[in-house]
Amino acid sequence: MNKNELVKLIDTTKCTACRGCQVACKQWNEMPGLKTRNWGSYQNPPELGWNTWTLVRFQEYVDSKGILKWLFRKEGCMHCTDAACVKVCPSNALYRTEFGTIGLHASLCIGCKECITACPFDVPKYNPHTDTILKCDLCYDRLKGGELPACVKSCPTGALSIGKKEVMIENAYTRAKELGGDANVYGDTFVGGTHVLYVLGEKPEVYENLPARPAVPLTIVAWKDWFKPLSLIAAGGVLIGSFFHYITHGPKDTGGNSDQTCKGGGE
Amino acid sequence: MTNHWIDLQHSDCILIMGSNAAEHHPIAFKWMLRGKEKNGTKLIHVDPRFTRTSARCDYHVPLRSGTDIAFLGGMINYILNSDKYFKDYVVNYTNAPFIVVKDFDFNDGLFTGYDKAEKKYSKETWVFEKDAAGIPKKDPSLTDPNCVFQLMKKHYSRYTLEKVSSITGVSREDLMKVYTDYASTGAGDRAGTICYALGWTHHSTGTQNIRTMAMIQLLLGNIGICGGGVNALRGEPNVQGSTDHCILYGNLPGYLKMPVASLDTLEKYLKKYTPVTNDPQSPNYYRNYPKFYISFLKSLFDDKATPENEFGYSWMPKLDDGTPYSLMHLFDAMYKGTVKGLFSVGTDPAVSSPNANKVRKALEKLDWLVSANIFDNETCSFWKGPGVDPGKVKTECFLLPASATMEKEGSQTNSGRWVQWKYKAARAPGDAIPVGEMFIKIIDAVKALYAGEGGINPEPILNFKSDYINRNGAFSALKAARQINGFFLKDTIIDGKTFRKGQQVPTFGMLQDDGSTCSGNWLMAGSFTTDGENRMTARGKDDPTGLGLYPNWAWAWPVNRRILYNRASCDINGRPYNPKRKLLEWTGHKWVGDVPDGGWAPMADRENGKYPFIMKADGVGSLFGPGMAEGPFSEHYEPFESPLSKNPLSSQLNNPALHVFETDMDKTASASDTFPYVCTTYSCTEHWCSGALTRWQAWLLEMQPEAYVEIGEKLAHEKGIKNGERVKVSSARGFVKCVAMVTKRFRPFLVEGKTVHQVGMPFNYGWLFPEDGGDSCNILTPSVGDANTHCPEYKAFMVNVSKIQEAG
Amino acid sequence: MIPKKGMIKVSDTFERIVHWCLAISCIVLMLSGLGMMFHSFNFLAIPVGGLKNLKLVHNFTGLIFIPSLFFAILVWWKEAAIFDVPDDIEWIKCAGGYLWHVENPPETGKYNPGQKAFFIAVAVFGIIMIISGLIMWFPLEFSASTVRVMFFLHALGFFVIFPFFFIHLYLGTIGVPGSFPAIMTGYVTRAWCEKQCPKWLREMEENGTLEVFGEEKPAAEHH
Repeated sequence: MNKNELVKLIDTTKCTACRGCQVACKQWNEMPGLKTRNWGSYQNPPELGWNTWTLVRFQEYVDSKGILKWLFRKEGCMHCTDAACVKVCPSNALYRTEFGTIGLHASLCIGCKECITACPFDVPKYNPHTDTILKCDLCYDRLKGGELPACVKSCPTGALSIGKKEVMIENAYTRAKELGGDANVYGDTFVGGTHVLYVLGEKPEVYENLPARPAVPLTIVAWKDWFKPLSLIAAGGVLIGSFFHYITHGPKDTGGNSDQTCKGGGE
Repeated sequence: MTNHWIDLQHSDCILIMGSNAAEHHPIAFKWMLRGKEKNGTKLIHVDPRFTRTSARCDYHVPLRSGTDIAFLGGMINYILNSDKYFKDYVVNYTNAPFIVVKDFDFNDGLFTGYDKAEKKYSKETWVFEKDAAGIPKKDPSLTDPNCVFQLMKKHYSRYTLEKVSSITGVSREDLMKVYTDYASTGAGDRAGTICYALGWTHHSTGTQNIRTMAMIQLLLGNIGICGGGVNALRGEPNVQGSTDHCILYGNLPGYLKMPVASLDTLEKYLKKYTPVTNDPQSPNYYRNYPKFYISFLKSLFDDKATPENEFGYSWMPKLDDGTPYSLMHLFDAMYKGTVKGLFSVGTDPAVSSPNANKVRKALEKLDWLVSANIFDNETCSFWKGPGVDPGKVKTECFLLPASATMEKEGSQTNSGRWVQWKYKAARAPGDAIPVGEMFIKIIDAVKALYAGEGGINPEPILNFKSDYINRNGAFSALKAARQINGFFLKDTIIDGKTFRKGQQVPTFGMLQDDGSTCSGNWLMAGSFTTDGENRMTARGKDDPTGLGLYPNWAWAWPVNRRILYNRASCDINGRPYNPKRKLLEWTGHKWVGDVPDGGWAPMADRENGKYPFIMKADGVGSLFGPGMAEGPFSEHYEPFESPLSKNPLSSQLNNPALHVFETDMDKTASASDTFPYVCTTYSCTEHWCSGALTRWQAWLLEMQPEAYVEIGEKLAHEKGIKNGERVKVSSARGFVKCVAMVTKRFRPFLVEGKTVHQVGMPFNYGWLFPEDGGDSCNILTPSVGDANTHCPEYKAFMVNVSKIQEAG
Repeated sequence: MIPKKGMIKVSDTFERIVHWCLAISCIVLMLSGLGMMFHSFNFLAIPVGGLKNLKLVHNFTGLIFIPSLFFAILVWWKEAAIFDVPDDIEWIKCAGGYLWHVENPPETGKYNPGQKAFFIAVAVFGIIMIISGLIMWFPLEFSASTVRVMFFLHALGFFVIFPFFFIHLYLGTIGVPGSFPAIMTGYVTRAWCEKQCPKWLREMEENGTLEVFGEEKPAAEHH
């Protein structure tokens, strides 16, 4: 295992939805605030966008005991180990960093949007002004400089933390155990383990826009893991087969291809 | 705050009531969460709304806006009837055993002494029986029917569970859940604290809301202890600092009193405000009032203030007796045309003041308006506001560009009274200068005019000390801060120690009433050491008590005491009630721990010992509080605009001591079918106050782009309103259009057998920017305020909500 | 490769234009697709100045591919998409003698079943490539699950067409000598024709519609 692997832990049970992270992210990454309307929710912008790499989702939920809960979940790139976006990226714009996170060289992005479709968490977003996608890179530049990601730095309540993978996974399970009930850890058991973990207060199914069992889509696997090599093998096979066909079976006798036989040769 | 932010984590139970701590004190709220996480602190949120605070508390109990006293009165009743109070504390450290005069009474919502015509109480009967020596009589057994304890028990016996539930709309189960959880802190080794904010002050009974809780805290022995206290969460606007330095009209710096016209000599003034006691064990620290006040006068007038001229007392402006000068009164006077000019500094009253339509009309009647702000706002630009014809407005308006907080040096005081020095981080843009510099430059110009041309009443102007400009011609906050701390004005020997002229006064205990010291704010004496070291810049992280007092981090008033009334954390022999959280301990000859509230021995020492509540004349906490305008005990009165036509507890519907405005723009509608829903107003995390600063910030605006009203699902269903639709919210005073946020977080209350819906709106929006962001919800709020402070009743009034039929 | 007297015309100008439009666009699509699909083939983007341009080349070549395929199907579907029962079945049974020695492989029409299979594959998967490609071009207009299926189909199409291309290339050139002129000049030798499409040759001769280089066009007489 990569010793440098980092994991960001989002403890939703400590989040007060102050959205400091949402603003800090935009500030550090120099993303603009865009015109929005109130659409009947505190959650704004309504979804992640090219200028919104992290978004606090607000969800009113009445549990089975009739108790009203207001669930807050900071949404953003999960930095999968088995990252569908990296798998599909034609240009290496999306890549795995030494921290195990998924970085983005926006200058390499060709705007094909394949990652947008491939991502099981619906994270990468397309910026039509630059014809590239944008997404959280867990402040790769800050991590390189030994700083905390902007969101973690801004969090007043300790809902966000970052550290060595094993330590954070342990912290997450300790906290979930401490909370009891439906509290659970989300992220370490699928897509090869994500580098963003949640401690969720409720079962994953309860949360809006959070896949309960995320996976790299089968079609992406078929494409990238099966057809990609198979098409090369098949084409290579044909080339080699043709060669051996030529030297063993020989070209088909079509009555010769010399000019002499062209007239009435087959009669 | 009696305590401080870090101390919140030591509480066993935190009642958050009248506050949305998570949204408005997000950084501070972490200490509550830390308590919950590390120490198992129970967090209870009692609030009309389910907020982000509710989401993080152990549980949330919704109550109808404006019924806090009923809720808390029920808790007092529970505590007294179930013997949950901390007896040792109550007997020794409160006025529970004091005997009240026989004539005192309470009948059908009114205490004795009420003058119906004046809407005022005379307080002759709100006093204690005194013995021959002039010391209040006490019954330590608490059984005398006229002792405070028994009167209190009788008074609150009317606050039965049934009654309280019917008034507040809180179920009896929920009431009992809160009462039992909170009352469990009435033990020596347990601490409970209250965190409140504008949710309590913004009521016509605001002061009594807080007082009722203070009484509970005294009953449970929660004042003066680690993890306890009555904690007003004060916010980013440096509210604590500005209050300390007299933002309120009746105050001078350090909560000294503003003189009134009838106190025409210094002697009369000092006699009026210097409390006396005959009890030798009461420190009655305010006996030093003359020292604080005369040092204050010396700071204003320097060597021009002499014993011969009463230290310039006659130059001080005087309020008219019995006349309030609150924000609402000022705008009322402007509306009536008696106030002709306004300095609006760092405020946006056209958005933030109640009955904003009246405020905006009042601004039109001014001759001149000077705004000092970092942005233009709805007040400064009122002349081009909605429905205003600029051609018809005669007011001359000036906008002085001010530097923002990070563009200037100075001190900021947090809720825990920690005064922290901060430096200038960025250069202010353009011509912007600190507000302090504006004032100095203006007064210097006025002085020059007076010197050249003469004028009316020249002495206070010409004698006013204003040399706070540094060599570069800029305002020096440091110079002003030194003056606020105070100096020795001549060589002085105190207790054998010599202080030279020009040295800083190290503590207010050294201030003198003979003109030999000056201090702009006695509370701040000690913020510099004698040698001039600025203690507000201290950043030491040592924590000798282990309780997070951090005595060398910044400096806290008074005298770096981190928890007020801390001697009450020990029994009468000075032994800590809670050895696990040992704030202070008497070692036999001195106190060890926090800076004690006076170094005297504990009160069991009848010779040298003193009572712990040193700022009270009687030396104990006031369960019986005659200082209040509407009664020595609190009583539930309905909000000025209420869904009820009758107070379920008495025939006195509203606070009897209310001041009511009566212009044509002060319409009200209580218990009316036209305006059937209770409305409350508040701020949201994303914006700051009127939004005059934050609405220009794209990142913040993106998150909360426009005005909204939060409506429960049931009411929305009844009115056919869908989430995100535009609606019109109207009150007797006006209407605003905004977006409906239909939510599960607002639920109707069952009050006196009928369903009462409540809605809520943030006050962060104004017409100026963004253009489609909606206008201020204060167009709806009534200009009525608390009887003691005249703090407006923003939190409970009546509205209607209707769907807008958008044309085409 | 100038046709000589006596050679038989097997394709007209339009057919040859369609073939080459299809062929060239297909090759460009395959190469540009390859350049985007495999990081090791990213170098294929160098001549056009980067992957972003390669994407544009791919997308816009697709727009040429669409009409090419359309006309190809229009032109050839009768001759190349309908199997001739039972002769073609017999042919399939012995693989037309391409893979092992067969004394007398069954006679075929203008296109043998192998060619027909290739044509059908190109037609079917070509359409799939067009539809999936267009959707992949504008993925934000469709649901992610739809686009994900398109990824699958596009890859499947590539998997089929790519190897077939090489078979076609081999058999159209050195694998079956004499074939290449059929799509270059349109004329092949009679001997080639008798081997490759005897039935067609017979039919044409019976109908008198056979065009032989250097001879009068018979068609006019028949009309």
